[in-house]
Amino acid sequence: MAKYIVKRILSAIPLLLIITIICFFLINLAPYDAIDSMTTPKMSEELVQMIREKYGYDQPVYIQYIRWLGGLLNGNFGYSIVNGTNIFDDLVSRIPNTIVLVLPAYLAAYIISIVLGLLAGSHKNKRLDKIIDGYASLGIAMPTFWVAMLLIYIFGYKLGLLPILGMHTVGVDTTADFLRHFILPFVVLTLSFIPDNLRYVRSSTITQYSEDYVMVQRAFGASKGEIMFKHVCKNVLLPVITKLGMALPTLVTGAVITETVFSWPGVGPYFIKAIQGMDYPIIMVVLVLSSTLVILGNLLSDILYCITDPRIRKMR
Amino acid sequence: MKEKISKMLSLLTATALAVGTLTLSACGRDPVVEDSNSSAASDTASSTSKDDTFTYAIAGDPGETVNVITTSDRYGLSTIKMIYSPLYMNNADGINWFLATDYSVSDDNLTYTFNLRDDVTWSDGEPFTADDVVFTYEEMEKEENVGWAYSQLVYNEGTVKVTKVDDYTVSFTFPFQTPTAVEMLSQIFIMPEHIYKDVTDYEHNDYNMNSVGTGPYKLVDYQAGSYLRFEANESYFKGTPSIKNIVFRIIENSDTAILALQSGEIDAYSATPSEVEKLDMDQNNLTAYTYTEGRVGYMMINCNRVPDQKVRQAIFYALDKKAMNDAAFLSDEYYLTPNTFLPTNSQFYDDSNVEKYDRDLEKSKQLLSEAGVTDLKLKLGYAGTDDAQSTQALLIQEQLGEAGIEVELASSDATALSAQMQDPENSYDMYLGGYIMGIDPDTFSSLFESGAGYNYMYYDDQKINDLFAQGRAETDEAARKEIYSELQKEIQDLAAFYPIVSNDKILVVNNRIQGIEEAGLVPVYTFEDTYYLKMAE
Repeated sequence: MAKYIVKRILSAIPLLLIITIICFFLINLAPYDAIDSMTTPKMSEELVQMIREKYGYDQPVYIQYIRWLGGLLNGNFGYSIVNGTNIFDDLVSRIPNTIVLVLPAYLAAYIISIVLGLLAGSHKNKRLDKIIDGYASLGIAMPTFWVAMLLIYIFGYKLGLLPILGMHTVGVDTTADFLRHFILPFVVLTLSFIPDNLRYVRSSTITQYSEDYVMVQRAFGASKGEIMFKHVCKNVLLPVITKLGMALPTLVTGAVITETVFSWPGVGPYFIKAIQGMDYPIIMVVLVLSSTLVILGNLLSDILYCITDPRIRKMR
Repeated sequence: MKEKISKMLSLLTATALAVGTLTLSACGRDPVVEDSNSSAASDTASSTSKDDTFTYAIAGDPGETVNVITTSDRYGLSTIKMIYSPLYMNNADGINWFLATDYSVSDDNLTYTFNLRDDVTWSDGEPFTADDVVFTYEEMEKEENVGWAYSQLVYNEGTVKVTKVDDYTVSFTFPFQTPTAVEMLSQIFIMPEHIYKDVTDYEHNDYNMNSVGTGPYKLVDYQAGSYLRFEANESYFKGTPSIKNIVFRIIENSDTAILALQSGEIDAYSATPSEVEKLDMDQNNLTAYTYTEGRVGYMMINCNRVPDQKVRQAIFYALDKKAMNDAAFLSDEYYLTPNTFLPTNSQFYDDSNVEKYDRDLEKSKQLLSEAGVTDLKLKLGYAGTDDAQSTQALLIQEQLGEAGIEVELASSDATALSAQMQDPENSYDMYLGGYIMGIDPDTFSSLFESGAGYNYMYYDDQKINDLFAQGRAETDEAARKEIYSELQKEIQDLAAFYPIVSNDKILVVNNRIQGIEEAGLVPVYTFEDTYYLKMAE
């Protein structure tokens, strides 16, 4: 198994490199010149050229790429071209805020969706299933920003129960204050994460129930609970575990819209602002970061699967 | 710098509108706000020490790099305005003095001497002197610092020489006579020499966020992506500001900002006309203040593709800007209609002799047939995320359609469009856009001189160049006015530039906060001096 894991890790490295190349060159193809956001109509040609040289934009693209990649590896993510801040520092101060919001929401959604999915799958076509499945369809159809605005309108404005802005009241740094700010975005995110996984668990439960082994168990007179927890559950949850790994990129870019609506000081508003301002060093770093997490997430899923499923272990 | 701001502006509005869409229109209009609810809202609000805090929503994070030399974005400059003071501000209403008290011009019109206040101290107790002024301007003039005002102080003919006359007198000597000197020296904020003297990288150092300034407020707390908190500067030279805390709350989403404004979580927000229409001002205890930024929204014709002046005039005669503006900005309280390239609040604005191109379909058709053009098809580029531009584009299509001119709408991203416009061979016949330039008409030369870097109309007109050159060299005020009147007429006659609107900015403020007029609403910085803001009794 160790050999398999090492092999998977090694194969991820060229993939990562390819991702950085794609990100860099695609952005370079965009019809923008990064220099435009730093210069003004009144600047002389020489000054523009000087700024170009200062930031290394006079070099050929492949040299720019190598310099940029070298920077990435050394933790030097470069500077924002709109307001000159250090991107690494910016991300270090924002990613924890995003994780604090996304991780609990994802875990809560994960657990709720498994429970609901199993319930729905085991009651196929009964009323309970219809309600849960109906909720899932509705949930997928509702955009998060809309749900968020709705909750803000009801709880933040009409009822005035909860604050709607940011992570803390200005100047207050208590846990209670944080929790009050946390509830609304947490609920929105949880609601948005549930349906996808729920439908997955539900359909895989239904598939498992139609398998022969369930019929055999029934023939042997096993109770409903026994079938569910001893047999079906195991088979349903195996692939669900891999979903956990694939959710890794969510930790960084999973709440972009929700964060923006709630002015949560995470990666979301930062990323959106960068896109709007064509602040392309930031866009590239976030792209590379999230695509790296996709690769790492897949790697993690594979490894988890390998650990939990003896069949896969034996195949190697 | 100013162009950058205008780009940022259009981007900002674009985003606000794009993210906004239809989500909350229903809520905004909903008249059922019960008393119990609104009192509940104020209960939660009062748990934060609201009585001495003014919270202003800004749509972007100024970042940790805020400094007087390189910062040139809207929110960065608003932050600078809180912490530092310039010698004076030169806005449409004239000069407002801060660290300087008055100036005199030498007989040869080259040297401008400013008297400084002698009662100013930095927020760390050090006295403010002419040394700080000389230091700041000299740092701005260093090429390697890439200061935003570099090109206003350093010319091909030479550099503006800054001299300390005595502790409270500074003189600036220009390498040539220029009527724009007062404009070029304005809006530069003074930084403390004793803090920054060894700094080489103005964006990244330990002092930007631990600032020592002469402004009305001190920055005490910055939470990235969240807020900036300022505290009244007790040593401000006009006295201690009456509001103890000012918070710039960073809110990217306009719907959220509107709700926060209604719930009282924020006190002020810069709104669009359609947002204002939806807000119930009385119910929510709000007041809308409008002010002009001197922005001109325009349609430009690419003369490389439409070289015939008659055709261009035919296009203009088919347009109706009033209809466009009423559709895009709802009511004429929120816009002015410029008839030349200058904003209407400019003291050089003069539309008495210019061709205004009032709508005349007959004339338009006649001009087209004179030019021998039939089946004219034009491609109009505009920023699709900008609501106002989209509305204008639709109306242009309709209005020109009535004159038998077919318009293809080519919606694009604002930045991508401006990048394409820079190519003289671009495929657009016309484009929509907007700019905010300086108070002095010479600041517009980079947009209108033939061959200038930002002249996207690509015409070749020697007379316009000559007039700009004359205006730049003329120091007599009245003679200058005449030159620029002539210039405005000339540009209108050329019929490549069609000014559409000079729209206002609208600041919606909770009635808890008073003194908005005294504080002065100005382009970019929002408040000219937050010192004058006060809490309602």
